[in-house]
Amino acid sequence: MAAVPRARLLDLMKVQCQIFSTTYNPDGIRTGNKILRQRLRGPTLAKYYPPRGPTINTLEKEFKPWNLETINEQEEDRQEHLAGVRSRGKGAPKKKRTAPAATDKKR
Amino acid sequence: MSMFRAKKLDLGCFINIKTIRDHSKRKAFAQHEPERQALRYIIRNTTLPARTRAEAQLQLTRMHCYTRPTQIRGRCLLGGKGRGILRDFKMSRYNFRMQALEGNIPGVQKASW
Repeated sequence: MAAVPRARLLDLMKVQCQIFSTTYNPDGIRTGNKILRQRLRGPTLAKYYPPRGPTINTLEKEFKPWNLETINEQEEDRQEHLAGVRSRGKGAPKKKRTAPAATDKKR
Repeated sequence: MSMFRAKKLDLGCFINIKTIRDHSKRKAFAQHEPERQALRYIIRNTTLPARTRAEAQLQLTRMHCYTRPTQIRGRCLLGGKGRGILRDFKMSRYNFRMQALEGNIPGVQKASW
């Protein structure tokens, strides 16, 4: 094999780089371009868990402007139960509006 | 950390604190990924002055641990387990088996020959 001078090979490389629009880097200096070539993984990673779907409560809220009625059985059951409990006088006490009076715990 | 947590619950799968935490880590990573990659590029680029690169290294290590990709862990969508996860199905091995035997996973059937 005929020996080709290194300068000529480098010239060839330079022309190659110009034609194919790649970076001319004969010494193999690390420029960190491989980091820039990497695609961003964030969006796919963030999509791992499924988003929260609509519930009856959110649908109710959505449909309110159009005066559409929704049937929320759970909520109805809860209201029924609450009414029963209150009629028996077993309901939860009302939320206090004022701060409770300070009780001295000194013995 | 609570500052990365969504103000309103936005998960449609099994919910416990571990899945919520993992989800917020994923979102934090997605948000800060360009910054991390830029710093990583500065660090790897040997043509830049050594001082800049050292500063970039410091800045990268000073970033919050939630923005690191290594903090992210695959978790089971049905039980929140962190070990024995089949990545393709996002399920722990036991849940995968149960779902597969019930026929809920398309294209999966028990091998028999």
